Amino acid sequence: MLKLIRNRLSTGFIAALMVIAVMLLAVSCGSSSEDPGSPDDSEPSSDVSSGDNVLRLPGGDPITLDPALASDAESASYIVEIFSGLVTLDRDLNVVPDVAQSVDVSDDGKTYTFKLRTNANFHDGSRRVTANDFKYSMERSLDRETQSTTAVLYLGDIVGAKEFANGRAEEVSGIKAIDPNTLEITIDAAKPYFLSKLTYPTAFVVDQNNVESNPRSWFRRPNGTGPFKLTEWRLGERIVLDAYERFYNGRPSVDRVVFNMALGSSLTAYENNELDLSGVGINDIERIRDEREPLNQQFVTQEQLDVWYIEFNSTKAPFDDPKVRQAFTHAIDKDKLVEVVLLDAVRKANGVLPPGMPGYNANLDGLEYDPNRAKQLLSESKYGSAQGLPPITMISSGGGASLGPSSEAILAMWEETLGVTVEVQQSEFATFLQQIQRGDFQMAEQGWIADYVDPEDFLDIKLHSQSTDNYGRYNNAEFDRLVEQARTEQNSEARMNLYRQAEQIVVNDAAWIPLYHSMDNALVKPYVKDYNVSPLVIPTLRYVSIER
Amino acid sequence: MQGLLPYVTRRLLWAPVLLFVVSLVTFALGRYGPGDPIAVLQAQRLDPEVAESIRHERGLDQPFVEQYLTYISNFLRGDLGESFSIYRGIPVQDIIFPRMWVSFQYSFLVLIITYAIGIPIGIFTALKQGTWLDPFVIGGFLFIASIPVLVVIPILQWLFALQLGWLPSGGWQINEIAGIEFGIFDKRIMLPVIALTLPGLGGVARLMRISTLEVLGEDFVRTARAKGLHEITVASRHVARNSLLPLVTIMGYELAGLMGGAIFTETLLGIPGVGQLAFQAITSNDYDIVMALVLLGASAFIVAMLVVDIAYTFVDPRVRYRPGELL
Amino acid sequence: MAQAELLESAPEGRLASLGHHPLVQTLRRLSRRKVAMISLLVIVVIYLMGITAPWTAPYGFRETDLDNTFAGPTLEHPFGTDRLGRDMLSRVMWAAQTTVIISVLAIGSGTILLGVGLGLLSGYRGGWVDAVIMRVVDLISSMPSLLILILVTSTIRPRWEDMWRDFEQWSSIGGIRESGATDYMLVFGILALLGWGSMARFIRAQVLTLRQSEFVLAAQTQGASTWRIIWVHLLPNVSHLIVLVVTASLGAVAGTEIALAFLGIGVRLPHPSFGTMIFEYSGLRQFQAHPNVFFIPAAFVSALLVSFNLLGDALNDVLSPRRRNMSR
Repeated sequence: MLKLIRNRLSTGFIAALMVIAVMLLAVSCGSSSEDPGSPDDSEPSSDVSSGDNVLRLPGGDPITLDPALASDAESASYIVEIFSGLVTLDRDLNVVPDVAQSVDVSDDGKTYTFKLRTNANFHDGSRRVTANDFKYSMERSLDRETQSTTAVLYLGDIVGAKEFANGRAEEVSGIKAIDPNTLEITIDAAKPYFLSKLTYPTAFVVDQNNVESNPRSWFRRPNGTGPFKLTEWRLGERIVLDAYERFYNGRPSVDRVVFNMALGSSLTAYENNELDLSGVGINDIERIRDEREPLNQQFVTQEQLDVWYIEFNSTKAPFDDPKVRQAFTHAIDKDKLVEVVLLDAVRKANGVLPPGMPGYNANLDGLEYDPNRAKQLLSESKYGSAQGLPPITMISSGGGASLGPSSEAILAMWEETLGVTVEVQQSEFATFLQQIQRGDFQMAEQGWIADYVDPEDFLDIKLHSQSTDNYGRYNNAEFDRLVEQARTEQNSEARMNLYRQAEQIVVNDAAWIPLYHSMDNALVKPYVKDYNVSPLVIPTLRYVSIER
Repeated sequence: MQGLLPYVTRRLLWAPVLLFVVSLVTFALGRYGPGDPIAVLQAQRLDPEVAESIRHERGLDQPFVEQYLTYISNFLRGDLGESFSIYRGIPVQDIIFPRMWVSFQYSFLVLIITYAIGIPIGIFTALKQGTWLDPFVIGGFLFIASIPVLVVIPILQWLFALQLGWLPSGGWQINEIAGIEFGIFDKRIMLPVIALTLPGLGGVARLMRISTLEVLGEDFVRTARAKGLHEITVASRHVARNSLLPLVTIMGYELAGLMGGAIFTETLLGIPGVGQLAFQAITSNDYDIVMALVLLGASAFIVAMLVVDIAYTFVDPRVRYRPGELL
Repeated sequence: MAQAELLESAPEGRLASLGHHPLVQTLRRLSRRKVAMISLLVIVVIYLMGITAPWTAPYGFRETDLDNTFAGPTLEHPFGTDRLGRDMLSRVMWAAQTTVIISVLAIGSGTILLGVGLGLLSGYRGGWVDAVIMRVVDLISSMPSLLILILVTSTIRPRWEDMWRDFEQWSSIGGIRESGATDYMLVFGILALLGWGSMARFIRAQVLTLRQSEFVLAAQTQGASTWRIIWVHLLPNVSHLIVLVVTASLGAVAGTEIALAFLGIGVRLPHPSFGTMIFEYSGLRQFQAHPNVFFIPAAFVSALLVSFNLLGDALNDVLSPRRRNMSR
């Protein structure tokens, strides 16, 4: 009896032990295979956030740190600190020289001559950045094998870039390294916004040796030229950037920046003094805005260069009739939506362009809330009435349960004003993207964030009838003519006027329902000086200092 | 005992079949479902030509059977593939093994604490059977266990992090001990551990209580009691040894789930474990990560099941329906 | 309680056979437990709230009032209003309705039928039937169910939706999808497919012990068919266990709904459910500022789940043979 019991017990324990052993094995395999990819194993201590001169920020995982491939804001926000390019945006969003010391533009506006600074080095100290590095980097971006989706968009204006990308040329003829310090770029037509396109990561310089050391995941140990070097990237946990001592614009003031991705609530972590900055979500904004609240002193807010909108598919019933689109637009009480539902944490949008964007029209004539006009327009449409409309579905992306209060409020407004019940189909981001890219929708809830500071990025890219980003297939010949003319208009004022006219057409046609422009609402600790909450992804961390 | 060897052999032969079916189903769901990792990767910067070249490079344009066979043969050689859309180009093993270590650590801690607290409570309530303490304690734990974790976590956060200020609201902090990185030696882990321990206590205590009662009813214990031995002695000598068996059996199953991680707890409390990754990978259609997680999860389960089943041939199974096994 | 008392007060002889039916015994014993009866009452009240919601809810669930958002409890809105000024009491009632619908669907989806049926068959027949069924159970249990659930819903759902959209247009019956019924059918269909295994195991284990009992052996020697033995002799003897299984499943379903809402594969908004309501307002400070919008649905669903568990526990206790002996 006793023996049997012991047998039973040991079997049970062996069961447990075996499972543990299997798992430990898996884990140990994991940690040994991890080595080649991860950056310097020696340097990071377990307590990276200690020290007075460390900036602690909330963060998220980048999809990639390869400047040529990044197309999302999260990735770009790290890349702009680790890498750098010929030109950059300063804190007022002006284009200023960066690795280039000066830029000369020829009289016909087509040839740009960049004089490079002589003190720009790669992080590993192996060598300085030369004109050839830029030629290599830009050609690498354009090379189809790199699989960049942004390169042609940003560098396609360069003479020979498209031929090179299509494999019809050995090199990009418009990029010439005259000597180690001089780079000449020729573009196909005088395009005043070209320099601002070069501020995008896809035009940044990378180290050929670094890339070729491990073509598939070299970016886990990037050798950049920016103000910070990547010291550690633990997937899903944290990213550690250290100040680059020999940065050409002077060493950043902080020693180290730690992005923490493993946090419960960043605001609570902020209040617990575990973070130096935190975003403020809509659930907290009322409390933080209250002037009796101590945190109110640390609150900063910045309008973003983006627009959140509902896109109509102009080729699908019932939104092929502009009157239906207008009716749906007039039926939404945006003021109430912004004030009551979104608690003024955003700014109401009348048109497409956000405030702060050149060409923004404060006097734009938007389609205001007007229930009677909305009903009238619907009855004038070819569908005649709410009953005449086919079933309508709006698609929306989102994994969570909540549709978001604003969507629910909008649905209620349509129902109340027009008597139309709109169904919402919410899908994972992957499915949603597929649907909009195929034009497989009637209405879609979306947002667009500026890539560079030019109205072309909104109006031309999103709404020109030939653009691949025009998912709703909006097509207006007059609009197309205006934005095409603006592409090459040299006079800045005249150009902005063209965009203003074009924007008014889009608004009148109700191609979109612009809802709001978001705001970055954040809390910053008082000892963090010169932290710039920026409307765009720009290098900001090197300006920050900590003064306790 | 005699039938054991053939039994184990049969089960072992069956395991690859199980894994084959599981892998085929998962693979098919990924490839035939809507949604496309390349679309996620490119987000709003769609370029059909580039998308095509990525598909070609990753073999997504191959016939299904060929894709599947390639995947499986790579998998068997220890190559788990590469992330498509979450961490572009990074090998899957670099992504999931550190995550498994994270989930394993805290789950193991939770397991130990659950049993360390649950077992004595079960014995205690069994010894107090007939008094008001017994139903009160067991009912209390059952009550706590019934409240959804999505309700419990915000309340715990509010109480411990905001009101009392005792604990951080979650997160994951690494400490290096003897060259190994641990995340469970930091007070950040306390909130998640509390949230995960509470629901399990009731079950363990209840099971332990019933086992103890059964043993207490047996003759030799009654005799021992009659002889005037102290109750604690009785409990430690006979009760504990006899009633631990079913617990160990159940533990086997639980161990299999250890690396699975807890999706809700990890997401709400910011723990970079497997659960969080799995959810992210599925919604981003990151095929290779999903496949690897499903296959490793199924393998762990099969091993545990086999071992537990062997134990079952020795131990009289204590049948008890456990509600809500799925989630 | 009333029913059980009636049975006991009836003349001994007439009800002797009925009184020995395991189900009746179980219910009678259960009715003596206060906790179980209170739990049952809570469950019935919440279910009734849901069933009668279309007639008794003071407001519609999507009736917004942007001039009266986040109102505290008043006479018009006893539980206050949410972010869009919707009446919380009405939404709780509609959410209870959602719970009722999914419970019915889950029961009807075949989890129980499949689990009990195959469990009986497997346990009684043994041999290769048992082996096949148990290997299938192994297969199902070895799939990481949550992953598979998310995966299946995210991949199959759009096609499933299209199918129903076509059906609605073809049959000109509207509102099937809008009611959320199609979503539930899909989600709980998958849950059923993934979930019957543990139930079959449970029933099988019981049958294994019954198989050797005198009445089964007697029936066998009289030449009764397999189906007859299962139907006449085994099923009645596990019927009390089925009650337990149903109770546990109903509780699990209500709990699962919350999890599904979090994963975004539950009910279609704006139709309210406890899961979506809790999730939407579970922000750390949400209930600090507006406790009612989080706590009210959370309290209702917790009460429901606690009741189901306490009832199930009481059932378990009542059913455990050794436990019975000892309490005597």
